[in-house]
Amino acid sequence: MPRGKFLKILGALHEANVEFIVVGGVAAVLNGAPLAAYDLEVLHSRHPSNLARLLPVLERFGPLDLLGTIGRNLSYEDLLPHSVEMDIGEGIRIRVLDLETLIAVKEELGGEKDRAVLPTLRRTLEEKKKLR
Amino acid sequence: MTADGRTPLTDYSEDGVDLTLIRWFLSLTPAERLQFNQEHIDDIRAILALNAPR
Repeated sequence: MPRGKFLKILGALHEANVEFIVVGGVAAVLNGAPLAAYDLEVLHSRHPSNLARLLPVLERFGPLDLLGTIGRNLSYEDLLPHSVEMDIGEGIRIRVLDLETLIAVKEELGGEKDRAVLPTLRRTLEEKKKLR
Repeated sequence: MTADGRTPLTDYSEDGVDLTLIRWFLSLTPAERLQFNQEHIDDIRAILALNAPR
């Protein structure tokens, strides 16, 4: 099976040692929420050395949904303790925003699209807790 | 349980979320979830392209 586009981009970010956290819809999917995520949103460290590692990936794949902050001005450093490391195959390990924080961010944002997915995210969190 | 005492095929939360689907998706690994999402959106994009106005 060919490597998917999201896997290719995440693999390139991982290989380039970019410090990033997957947020948004793909984070929801990776956390187990059965939603369709069309865009890959990535929160990155704004440290100059990280931006230098990020640039070649951008040149290779074109513009990505890169975010310096999310929610109420939360940065990579703020959210690092609220992320989990996940193995997404082919030796690629990435950091993903945890489901509790993803829900909190979407509750804060309160947009129509954010509110629409909240019931699925909340029920996914409940079901996930039952498995622990 | 249904009124006739059988176990329903799907289970929904009070706010209408399909819990059966969530439980199945949680049974997958993150790699499998990412692959499923990619295939799903690729299929939808292909259908949209086929139905795009000419």
